[in-house]
Amino acid sequence: MKRKKSFIIAFILPCLLSLLIMYLYPVIRTVLMSFFGIESVTASMSEWTFNGLDNYIKIFGSPTFQRAMTNMLLIWLVGGIIVLCFALLFAVILTSGIRFKKFFRAAIYLPNIISAVALATMWIQYIYNQDYGLLNKLLEAVGLEGKNWLGTDMKFWAMLFAFTFGAVGYYMLIFISGIERIPEDLYEAATIDGANKVKQFTSITMPLLRSIFKTNITFWSVNCITFFIWSKMFAPVSTEASTIVPVVYLYDTVFGTTGNVQRDAGAGAAIGVVLAVFVGIIYFIMNKLIKDDDLEF
Amino acid sequence: MKKKLVGLLLCAAMVGTTVLAGCGGDSGSSDDSSTTEDSTATDDAEEESSDDSAEGGANYDGVELTYWSMWTNAEPQGKVIQEAVDAFQEQTGAKVTIEWKGRDIKNILSSSLEAEENIDLFEDDYNRIANNYKDYVADLTEMADAAGYADQSFAVFNDQAKEWAGFLPCVTEQPQVGGIFYNQDLFEEAGITETPATWDEFLDACKALKDKDISPMALDSTYAPFFFGYHLSRYIGQDATAELATSGGWSDNEKVAQAADDMIEFVKAGYLADGAPDEFPASQNKMGLTEDVAMVVCANYVTSEVNNNTGVELNWGLFNYPSVEGGADSSSAYAGANSIAVTKYSENQQAAFDLALFITSGEYDQKMADTAGQIPADPANTAPASQNGTVEVLNATTAPLTWNMGLNANADLLSQIQEKVVKLFEGSYSTGADFAADMDSLY
Repeated sequence: MKRKKSFIIAFILPCLLSLLIMYLYPVIRTVLMSFFGIESVTASMSEWTFNGLDNYIKIFGSPTFQRAMTNMLLIWLVGGIIVLCFALLFAVILTSGIRFKKFFRAAIYLPNIISAVALATMWIQYIYNQDYGLLNKLLEAVGLEGKNWLGTDMKFWAMLFAFTFGAVGYYMLIFISGIERIPEDLYEAATIDGANKVKQFTSITMPLLRSIFKTNITFWSVNCITFFIWSKMFAPVSTEASTIVPVVYLYDTVFGTTGNVQRDAGAGAAIGVVLAVFVGIIYFIMNKLIKDDDLEF
Repeated sequence: MKKKLVGLLLCAAMVGTTVLAGCGGDSGSSDDSSTTEDSTATDDAEEESSDDSAEGGANYDGVELTYWSMWTNAEPQGKVIQEAVDAFQEQTGAKVTIEWKGRDIKNILSSSLEAEENIDLFEDDYNRIANNYKDYVADLTEMADAAGYADQSFAVFNDQAKEWAGFLPCVTEQPQVGGIFYNQDLFEEAGITETPATWDEFLDACKALKDKDISPMALDSTYAPFFFGYHLSRYIGQDATAELATSGGWSDNEKVAQAADDMIEFVKAGYLADGAPDEFPASQNKMGLTEDVAMVVCANYVTSEVNNNTGVELNWGLFNYPSVEGGADSSSAYAGANSIAVTKYSENQQAAFDLALFITSGEYDQKMADTAGQIPADPANTAPASQNGTVEVLNATTAPLTWNMGLNANADLLSQIQEKVVKLFEGSYSTGADFAADMDSLY
């Protein structure tokens, strides 16, 4: 028994050390940094000046941070409804025994294996472009006037739509795996009892997908909180208010922006802590709201 | 027992690998740390080569330099740097290792310099070098004096960098200048023989172009603050603009509304190209794609961008942004630069400085200007055709304006200010006073 214990310790130690050095240390350092005035992210502690809660007061009082949070919440809410609804719809259709299931599944998932940079470029250049973009060409074809889809009033929605287009496939696959583990017998019994497809969906599929919903909502939330590359692609030269999200705000705060070399790693750390707390809150709420399956099947 | 030993050895190997991987890329720091405050080695190198010119004639046998570049080796700038470095190595015997970091160099430089990574010289925006990295870069003043650097560079950048850092922190590699870049052929077609110097003359030129069915101005939303920043700074100066951006009070300054009214009238007169303000680089590309858009307010790299994006060699010219009646300042232009700095802890500062000068003057600077379509860093060299007029504007600039002329002074509100300026060009405000009031709503 003793021998086994030493082996367990010996094998756990590398992982534990890695975890402590590479995760716990940066986390503790970031939390500490958020209470100090620091210019450079790697400045030694002797250069830190205690700020108390000033960094938090600063970011929560910033109209740009508020705008970034609003944008993030809109992406989470509106994008989440669109993505999860379409993902569920496609998952139900693809598991209903339709032909060419594998092709459709691959086609819907395809945007996930294409780089977000390429996808965003495609949307910006080929779909939203005012002169030769697909959308305005379609409008012209039906006799309507084209629109500047990337103007200040529409840019956020243009970005959100492009992002959700690419995200559906990932969540669809998770839903498919959840639906496929529901035994066929349940549906057969329900059919014999006279339940139609809609009734089967609401009374069998949906309740048995509860834990899958929890997984998908948690993944989607984390995805939204760490949203970055699409915002950068839709504002490639300098950050724009219409597409700014908290991680971009953090990035600009820590590294400075075009034409402004001011840096504030302390405030950047505070943003990081706030976002991490958000992830924790969402995880907590999800666990409280959606209980794990109490049904065995 | 054997199994236990093997298990422990494996674990030790894993831990060792993990720790080494974690410390990877930092190999130079321990070596360099002992030299941070030690200038003896540097002084030796300096003495050894103090009588050598920057033409690479010094003997640097055994000297090893590490050069962090902001370019990639596939870019024209990267290719010329590689050529210059090869020639420098051949002439001096030094061994130079180039690490192509790309534009993200700005995100890693600060940490790398603080950790005293193995870097002898590096490239970045001179603003960041002189402000953010000044504690980690060498004072090049003496070496520059000895090499006669003042005659091989534009004073405007050296003066500005010295003002920021308190000493000469870098050598200019890629000068930039802003203003109104125009297609000379279209100006000729519209019968405009002299470039406008005042806002009224500029509007007359726009009218003349419009009368010939030529769109006067391309504008991508990214550069909208650059256009308006120029205009506002002509009325109230850069410092006052920066003060407004920082503290607000836009409505209290009637010239803000006046400048915004000018822009509103400009847009209403139809002087913006179709679809402008457009998504970068759609509008500026129209200058090459349609060849019926005459001007763009930007920095000089716009000419290469348009030429390369559209495959059309336009007949470019540049004039300084016009003055306005009752304005504060009319002579200055935006000027910025990417520059080369030598680290404070480098053991071979003189060799690094010589390499920097080798790249930024003489033959290789000319090659860089021609290949990359940029302003030569050495005024003795000749600007390529795409940079017509840039050297004249640069020479006339003594107090360079910063990017967006003060509108970027408030780092926190920068993106919000930018949005409101784009809205100004989108026609969202009926009066300049509305614009000023909306700007004040940010504070």
